[in-house]
Amino acid sequence: MMQPVDKIIFGDNHFFGINHMSQEKAQQLAEKFFDISAIYAVYKTAIDSGIKAIMLNSNERAKDICKHFKDNKSKYPELNWYPSIPYPHKYANLISEKGIMATINEILFKNNTPIDAIGMVTKGGIGLIGKDAVKLMQMLIDVEVKMFKGLNIKVVFLQNIITDLMLGYNVRIIFEEYCNYIRKKHHATPGLITQNMPILKAKLEEWGIEGVVICSSFNKIGYLMSPDIDAYLEAAKKNDPTKYQLMAMSTLASGAIPAKEAYEFINSQNIQSVVFGASSKKHIEETASLIKI
Amino acid sequence: MNNITMNMKKAKIGIIGIGRMGMTHYSIINSHPGVEIKAVVETSSFISGFIKKYLTCVNSYLDYLNMFEKEQLDAVLICTPPTLHYPISCRAAKNGVHVFSEKPFTTDCKKAAELTQLFNKQNLVNQVGYVNRFNDVFRKVKQYLDSEVIGDIIRFKSEMYSRTITKSEEGKTWRDSRENGGGALYEVASHAIDLVNFLIGKPDKVTGSSLSSIYSKHVEDAVNATFLYKNGISGTLNVNWSDESYRKPTNKIELLGTKGKILADQHGIKIFLKKRDLVNNFHEGWNTLYITDLFKAVPFYVRGNEFTSQLYHFIDCIHNRTLKNVCTFHDATQTLEVIDEIFSDFELNGKLS
Ligand SMILES: NC(=O)c1ccc[n+]([C@@H]2O[C@H](COP(=O)([O-])OP(=O)(O)OC[C@H]3O[C@@H](n4cnc5c(N)ncnc54)[C@H](O)[C@@H]3O)[C@@H](O)[C@H]2O)c1
Repeated sequence: MMQPVDKIIFGDNHFFGINHMSQEKAQQLAEKFFDISAIYAVYKTAIDSGIKAIMLNSNERAKDICKHFKDNKSKYPELNWYPSIPYPHKYANLISEKGIMATINEILFKNNTPIDAIGMVTKGGIGLIGKDAVKLMQMLIDVEVKMFKGLNIKVVFLQNIITDLMLGYNVRIIFEEYCNYIRKKHHATPGLITQNMPILKAKLEEWGIEGVVICSSFNKIGYLMSPDIDAYLEAAKKNDPTKYQLMAMSTLASGAIPAKEAYEFINSQNIQSVVFGASSKKHIEETASLIKI
Repeated sequence: MNNITMNMKKAKIGIIGIGRMGMTHYSIINSHPGVEIKAVVETSSFISGFIKKYLTCVNSYLDYLNMFEKEQLDAVLICTPPTLHYPISCRAAKNGVHVFSEKPFTTDCKKAAELTQLFNKQNLVNQVGYVNRFNDVFRKVKQYLDSEVIGDIIRFKSEMYSRTITKSEEGKTWRDSRENGGGALYEVASHAIDLVNFLIGKPDKVTGSSLSSIYSKHVEDAVNATFLYKNGISGTLNVNWSDESYRKPTNKIELLGTKGKILADQHGIKIFLKKRDLVNNFHEGWNTLYITDLFKAVPFYVRGNEFTSQLYHFIDCIHNRTLKNVCTFHDATQTLEVIDEIFSDFELNGKLS
């Protein structure tokens, strides 16, 4: 029986120049939030409007954001944190510049020295991790989660680019070990972000992996929903929320669907949680009031 | 799943080179119901160690020659560094094996033409990873151009930007060597050129080429060129893989025609028309189509619809030999010829003495 997650979670895409529909919009956002105090101001507005849960990707700026919330704990009410890891672009760029081995070395051993890593170095470095993907994954998780330590971490999500890549490999042990490690080491609920929710959910069931939060795009036009919208509707309908909590993202399909219409659809589904992003008081309050799941 | 795949024997696949691209392709193609991955080849002991340990149902090899000797395959995906694409394709043809090769598929135009002939003669499916041809937005643009929504093309601009190389690293990987198929022209400009060939056709002449290094020591990081056509069309190419203002790799195309203009990128299409278009329901002036209006959901998503569509197309062509294979060795040869012309135009005319 898994613990329910927050029904409404405040996301972060809008802070980091991410917009699927327009480059221009994305650039405007990046400019607007260049000054990190503009980000804190939006968080303040959201929290004043009753938001109690925050999803945040482990990118470079997230470090400062986490620090801000740790340093100013007394100024904010109790908040639940939903980190997503890793920041995929960091890895993609490093790998194309240096190759895979050098990237892993840099991420594990430069600037970051997790306790286990020191052991590894003295025992002969990365070569020894060789073949043990689980150990390697655990070390990478620790590096990514580090910035959130000290905050109240509810769920640790794996980004869709990694989840879906691994899903294609059809290797149970990686998913099993991820979930176990998040529970045991980080005392949080494991989460998986995916663009293939029905396929992932069926696999987890087949493998007997339960107690997972599955976060996926969920919108009435079927945007970023593979294989298709009908499979999503079916999977959600049949879902047992004591085994899997379903979290919807991209509910407005990057703005293609008006909020009222979008949440009427979401409210009619068997979904346990919604993550959304907005910058103005009006939009935040409007969205929060429309979500009735 | 269509009936054809259901009734067919599964295609037996080998994947050669499990680097960035090979990893993605493995994941995508493994989701196709008409496929069984039988073998992988990877020389790095770090990666092949993982493969042996976790992918126990595939045979793992260090040498592709070994794989071709031991395995009965229907098709291979070639995802090694570019210099190996050619010898591996030749070896595949010897076994009568269909080939999907990552771009550029060889860096030598003569060899490219030779491979095209070889594969066509043997009636083998042949495809190259110029993935823009499978992008929902660019496919739609092609459809609009074919139905003359903006009339005859007069001018165009094809651009691609990314923040792939943002530091001066000692050139240790194949990306920092032209002989090995590295550099911005082979690696990224090839996509912007292929998009031009796909939408407009191969240019008749290349001029005004310039290649600049920003961070790389041995290869170019930015490419410019002008394309001329006998029918009067002209266009420019502008590519930079060291542009940190882009968070994600971005392809853009702008086309000016006798009846209007099209601007397109991964996010959508903007169309300006001098007169309204009743067939497509466009009004006079600006019209916008977002990706959310244009996308077609794919059966399994890893990193963009187009990556799934291109591999599913390859497999579908193997199962159904009446399908028209797109993005073939022939198409890629034409792209390579333009790349070659840019290099020689730059050598001849692009340097101040
Ligand atoms: N279409 C696209 O968008 C796109 C994007 C990136 C790369 N690519 C292309 O994909 C190809 C590979 O690029 P990458 O980024 O994956 O490079 P990479 O260096 O990450 O991967 C190449 C892999 O091949 C392996 N290898 C080298 N020699 C081998 C051999 N003899 N036998 C078997 N394996 C061998 C390497 O160990 C490495 O793992 C290139 O041709 C590149 O241009 C295409």
